[in-house]
Amino acid sequence: MACGSTSLWAGETTWFCCGSAWGPCGSAGGGACGTCNSSAHQAAWPNASQSCWNITRPDLCGENMARRGCGSVMNVKHQCSGATVCVTVSDCGPRTQSFCGESTCCNGACRTNRVIDLTPAAFSAIGNLSSGKLPVYIYE
Amino acid sequence: MIPIVSDLAPLVCGLLLAVTGAGKLFGRRTAQLAANTVLVRVLNDGRRAGLALRAVGAAELAVAAALLAVPGTLLPGVATAVLGAGFTGYLGYARATAPESSCGCSAKAEGPIGVRSFARAGLVLLGGAAAATATDPWWTEAARRPGWSAAFAVAAALLLCAVSADLDHVWLLPLRRLRIRLFGNPLAGAADGPVPVAASVELLEQSVAWQAASPIVRSALLDHWDDEGWRVLRFAGVYEQAARGARPVNVLFALDLGASIDTTSSPAVRVSVIDDDTDEMVPVDLLAGMATRQVLPMAT
Amino acid sequence: MSHRQNDPGRRGLDRRRFLTTAALGGATIVGASALGGLDADAAFAAPMPSLDPAISRSAFAEGRITQIKGSVLEVAGSHGDQHLIQLTNATSIWKLRTTTADQIQVGDGLYARGVDMPDGTIAADAVWVNIVNLYCTVKGIAKDRLHLAHGAQDHAVVGHIVADTTTASYLGGALTSDLSRVRIGQSAQILGAWRPADDAIDIARVTVGH
Repeated sequence: MACGSTSLWAGETTWFCCGSAWGPCGSAGGGACGTCNSSAHQAAWPNASQSCWNITRPDLCGENMARRGCGSVMNVKHQCSGATVCVTVSDCGPRTQSFCGESTCCNGACRTNRVIDLTPAAFSAIGNLSSGKLPVYIYE
Repeated sequence: MIPIVSDLAPLVCGLLLAVTGAGKLFGRRTAQLAANTVLVRVLNDGRRAGLALRAVGAAELAVAAALLAVPGTLLPGVATAVLGAGFTGYLGYARATAPESSCGCSAKAEGPIGVRSFARAGLVLLGGAAAATATDPWWTEAARRPGWSAAFAVAAALLLCAVSADLDHVWLLPLRRLRIRLFGNPLAGAADGPVPVAASVELLEQSVAWQAASPIVRSALLDHWDDEGWRVLRFAGVYEQAARGARPVNVLFALDLGASIDTTSSPAVRVSVIDDDTDEMVPVDLLAGMATRQVLPMAT
Repeated sequence: MSHRQNDPGRRGLDRRRFLTTAALGGATIVGASALGGLDADAAFAAPMPSLDPAISRSAFAEGRITQIKGSVLEVAGSHGDQHLIQLTNATSIWKLRTTTADQIQVGDGLYARGVDMPDGTIAADAVWVNIVNLYCTVKGIAKDRLHLAHGAQDHAVVGHIVADTTTASYLGGALTSDLSRVRIGQSAQILGAWRPADDAIDIARVTVGH
């Protein structure tokens, strides 16, 4: 899988579950792309499609990220530790507009707004699930 | 049975079954809903579960049509009661074997099977029994006692709202908001004392100390305790040295017990690395690794 | 790897006292000054890949625990896969809070990060038991629980508030035990532990949006 190093965006990441799963995640299904799976290195992008954008509305928080549809590949890097994980866009999310202005910092430098959601496999590769959110840089 | 109840029961049950039946039969999300019900396991196939749910919807519509068109006859009432009994049995089975599954009852807002699902199924059963004993068509009864009939219809509608989650936003949420406005928020306010452990971990994970130690740390928080104004956070890690190979270590961080990201953005964190086998302090220059990181020009 | 999870000598107060002394004897790292010229925005263009190749090499497992044999968890993955998760004294365990292996039960769900071992097991670095992170709308507030709706279908979920554990964050603020600013109708991210017995959730943290 080609995983580039051209900067694309920066912000907060959270994590979500999808695909076959236990507990309340069981109702999540395969996501907007139909291929989402918690144990694969995948992500949800707020501009995966126009209908996705209409739900997430990151523009209301001043985030106008480019369209990257199902199957797009991104490299997500933890701003504090530098740990990276390569992910494939497989769902629509997060709901950027619901958490406008929220920021997560690293050594005083803050990343604002939720701009990407990672599956548990991808999130745990660069941080701890119990942390809930991380500041990240995104490359493609 | 009281005539107004038995004579109007076909109207109420008919309308209810028409709405839920049409939702199941024609709903675009029926297949998706079926996937969360116990039907999938019973029928061993998600597609068949969707078809089964649509078939139930069709049956509900047929019974609804009969209730509305030919009230005062025995059969539609009995069919309704049988549907109600079937729903109750299905819910009981699902609740016992797969409590996390959805009900699939109304083809809309779904939650785990609870009291409301059973109440709704029970009402269909009772309504069917009442409808079976109807003597006059509902329109005759409505024309004979319009005031009482309207009151009964309103009462029935309120009862159905109360047992259905679909209309919560119309009445339940405003009611809950009002209660909080009148009686205050029941949740606990700020407590004095140390910040929650999660707040210390959050502060640590945003600090330079964490950034410096992250190449060594492997686990998430392993243990924590407070001691003389300090909060000690213990993580497990691996320290790799060219000469001695990889050694399991404890990575200990000590922070001010009252500090959080609200009080400081650059906390003073004491960091030490202890060999897990020998309990010796491992001399690690954590910042040395960071200084070698090359700084490139800003991306444009 | 040795298994010393239940060795009282290594978990007792004396041990903690010793480790506290060790921790306070460590180097103090404060603020950005130690970093010199490395500011966060410049790091956006820093070299790839990871500074920590160890973590990106890590293995991951997901599923429900079918059996517990000593310190090994047998896990049935949601896609029909099977995993054997080896717990060690270096494995962090989260189940609503940081806890110990004896809190793990058959039927629990988990996510685990670790290292693939030659014998086919995964030596776990971290295990998160029953952890969920749901995007919800607050539908009701009671003294000991929140009524929540999550997902496209507004699936109803009860979130229990656990004394001394449940925290809240308001628009990126620090985690606090003050829950009184949660409002009905708000969007909230609920990080918590799913309860297999009744399908409810014990809330670890509520992150409230608008």
